[in-house]
Parts: sequence; C-alpha cells; structure tokens
Amino acid sequence: MIWEYFIYFAIAAIVLWAAGAWMAWKDKVAGAFASTVCGLAVFSVFIVVMWITLERPPLRTMGETRLWYSFFLPLAGIIVYARWKYKWILTFSTILATVFICINIFKPEIHSKALMPALQSPWFAPHVIVYMFAYALLGAATVMAVYQISFKKRKLDPREMDITDNLVNVGLAFLTFGMLFGALWAKEAWGHYWSWDPKETWAAVTWMAYLIYIHFRIYRPKQVWSALWILIIAFILLQMCWWGINYLPSAQGSSVHTYSN
Amino acid sequence: MWEKPWGLLEGLIIALGLIIAGIMLEITAGPVMWDAFAWPANIIALVTLIGIIVIMHMMRKRFYACAFFGTYTAAIPTFAVAVVLTIIMGLTRQTVGGTWIYDMLTFWPFVLIYVLMTIILGLAILKHITHFNYKRDIPFLLNHLGLFIALTCGTMGNADMQRLKMITEIGQVEWRALDQQQAIKELPIAIELKQFIMEQYNDGSPKRFASEVQILSQTGKNIHAIIDVNKPVEVDGWKIYQYGYDTNAGPRSRISIFELVRDPWLPAVYAGIIMMLAGAVGMFIISQRRTS
Repeated sequence: MIWEYFIYFAIAAIVLWAAGAWMAWKDKVAGAFASTVCGLAVFSVFIVVMWITLERPPLRTMGETRLWYSFFLPLAGIIVYARWKYKWILTFSTILATVFICINIFKPEIHSKALMPALQSPWFAPHVIVYMFAYALLGAATVMAVYQISFKKRKLDPREMDITDNLVNVGLAFLTFGMLFGALWAKEAWGHYWSWDPKETWAAVTWMAYLIYIHFRIYRPKQVWSALWILIIAFILLQMCWWGINYLPSAQGSSVHTYSN
Repeated sequence: MWEKPWGLLEGLIIALGLIIAGIMLEITAGPVMWDAFAWPANIIALVTLIGIIVIMHMMRKRFYACAFFGTYTAAIPTFAVAVVLTIIMGLTRQTVGGTWIYDMLTFWPFVLIYVLMTIILGLAILKHITHFNYKRDIPFLLNHLGLFIALTCGTMGNADMQRLKMITEIGQVEWRALDQQQAIKELPIAIELKQFIMEQYNDGSPKRFASEVQILSQTGKNIHAIIDVNKPVEVDGWKIYQYGYDTNAGPRSRISIFELVRDPWLPAVYAGIIMMLAGAVGMFIISQRRTS
C-alpha cells in the first residue's frame, strides 16, 4: 500500500517546511521560499504517486482530504507570505500541516480502492480542492483573529486587520466557488442543484456567517473586537460543516454527502 | 430605542417580530404550501415581490422604514437570525411533512426571514443601481443580483419542477413514471432499455453502472444513448438520469431505474449562479487591490 511510504515523504516535507518557517523568522526570504516550495514538491510527488496507484483522485476518505489540507496549508501560507511578508505565517501553516500529517500517520483510516459512481465526475477535484483552499485561508484568518484578541491587549495594528480582511475575502471567494461548483455538480449527479441536504445546510450557514463578517466590517470598521469574534464563531460553524456533520445524529443516514461506509 | 437612525437592536427586534408573526401564521394557517406556487402563481408572486421592493425603494425618502431596509443596519441582524434558523435546521432531522422546525422549509418564520433578506438584498441592489459607479458596482451587482436571481427563481421555480422515477425493463418501451407521491404520470417521452451495463471493483462494489437506451419523444425524436451516473441525457427539456437498478441481481439486472427531471426555471438559476461565480472572481481581485 502506498500509505506505507507516506511517513518518509511526510518527514521530508515537514523538515523542509520547518526550515522555511525558521528562515522566514531570520528574514531569509529567498531561503524561506525555496525550502517551502521544495517541501510542497516532495509532498505533491506523494499525492501524484498515490493518485496514479489508486487510479482515481485521492479525495474520498477523511485521510485523503487531510492529505490535501496538509498540502494546501503551506501553499496558502507561502502565497500569504509572498504578498504580505508575514513572518509567523509559515510557522503557523507548518504546524497545522504537521498536525494533519500526524493524524494521518497515527490514525490510519481504511483506504479502500472503491469509489462510488456518483463521485466519478470531473467536478469532484475542483469542488473539494477549492473548498480545501477556502478552509486553509479561513483557518489562517481565524489564527489572525485569535492572535489579535489574545496578544494585542491594547492597540490593534490596522495592517493586521487588513490582512485578516483580505484572508476572509479571498477565503469567501473560494468558499463561494466551492459551493456553486457543488451546486452545478449536484445537478448533474442528483438531479437538483440544491436539496438542503445536511451538508448543504451547513455550507449555507458557514457561507452566511462569513458574509456577516464582511458586511459588519463595512458597517462598523472600528468595532474590531466584535468582528473578530464573528470570525471565530464562523470558523466553529465551518468545522461543523466540514467534519462535525459526520457525528451529528440528525445527519445520520439522511445526508448524501457521507461516504464513509 | 426607535430614535433615528435605527441601530442593530431595532433591526434585530424587527427580525424577531417577524418570527413571532410567522409563528402566529404557522398556528392559524398551517405550514407554507409551496405547491400552491405552481405556474402562474410563482411568476405573479415574483413580480409582486419585485414590485414591493421597487415601491419601497421609491418611498425611501418619505418613509424612514423603507430607507432603513436598504442599509447594513437592517441586513446584519436579519442575516444573524437567518443563520440561527438555518443552524437549527442543520441540527434537527428534517422530514417532509414534519412539523415546525422539523420541516424548516415550510416553517413560516424561516420563510419570512428569508423573504425579508431577499427584500433587503433587492433594496441594496436598487440603491447601487441608482448611484452606479463602474469600478465599485460591477462586482457588487454580480454578487448581489446573481444571488437575488438564483434565490428567487430557485424558490419560485421549485413548484414547477417535476422529478419522476421511471422503471424500465429490457426490451420494453416505458412512458409512465412515478412522481414523489407515487402517483403515475404519463410522459411525452418514452424509453426503451436495450441493455444494462455494469462494471465492478474486485470487492464487488459498483464501479460503473449505465443503461443503453432508445428514447422516443412525441415531438418525433428517436435517440440512441448511453445514460451514465453523472452523465444525464437531455430530451425536450427533460433531463434523464441513471438512478438505480436491481441491486440484488447486480450486473445481471434486467431493470434500470431513471430519474426524469424537468425544471423550466433552471436557465434563470444558472444565470444567477454564473453571475455569482464572476462576482467571486471580482471579489478576489478587489481584495488584492485594496491593500496595494
């Protein structure tokens, strides 16, 4: 099984990402870039090999989605770093990516080869990848919010709020893409673009929660505190949509989005 | 309170008032009867809604309340209440014919809050159209107008949507199908199942199932097609989906089940969705511009 080799690729990638994060703190911008990109390359080799051996995109099980999450976090991190040169962002993305890698190593899930016909669609990869990217960006925005609430007791740096807003805007743009791609796919696969399936209901909740943040920021730009709390609540709701739904009694057996069995 | 300009609290009280009104309606009139919105009632309702929004927009200088509903102050609390109701919907098991929050889509408070949200959305759109500014308003309109179109046409068109199940047997021409209430409907198209195709993984789980069919229509069409999962075939406004087969027989199944869907409002909804996609691209670009 391809998963047996995962640990070697994972360790190599983590070492490279950690080195990149460390160089970012030391203001070695080029080194930070090179190291992080190399880490991404190592990790993507594993994904590609896995894709080929499985004969399908590795996007079905929780383990496989976590794989993409660990890939997109450093990618989102390096994009944010490229744009705003935020020293801590690579440390953050590395730590989170490592957490997801560790879950994959220590809690291996059963990776069966079977992919049900409803998932065999060209919409599959764009739908999930776009969502993963959105989750990574909104996760980064949440870390910004927690950081600002807990460490900056007195004066808030408007630049940090700018970054938070940008992360949410771009994250929401991706969230919108994911949701609408999902709608277009659902029409082709299930006959209707929106059925208020539990996953869809929670996707709507999450989407609206981030819309509240964006509207509130325009409405009261100076009430940063409330805005940051909205962001944290929105991210909790996002967790519900992403994986919490799998444990929700009301969604058991009624959601077409649970493919776990 | 209620001193102008109204704040978030006033907005919240209006939304909560609407919930109480909705509960009264639920008790006295029963749940929302969406089936009553079949053509032409839905187009009348949609025109009426747009009419109300336009009138409110024109009255915004005479009546403060009309102006208020076009503001962020009204939008944010309404949004918040809508989120709470949708969370409740996500936490409860929804069933068709369930009561109150157990069938949220027919629960008056839920419906009324979404209607209010649509009105607020409409007023915001009109406000931006009357003070049109290229750079600022094109992404705004793509996002907001797209959502308005998708939301209203999707909801109003629901009663006109037909979703039928047709069970076909190899070698027989079938033109009857069952609707969601299990009533038999005769269709203007007929399907003859030529062959049921199934491929399996090593563990026996289905890898692919599809049907080779001959489709005949009253308009004189005679089409040979293979219908796969995820690859519906469209004939005369009907989309034909591979839905199921005799799971006990597996690859030897002699029957194939299709879902036939007709949704005349779909082009409008898709137009809204495409506008929102374009708006999301716009949002991506704008958010980068703001910092630089």
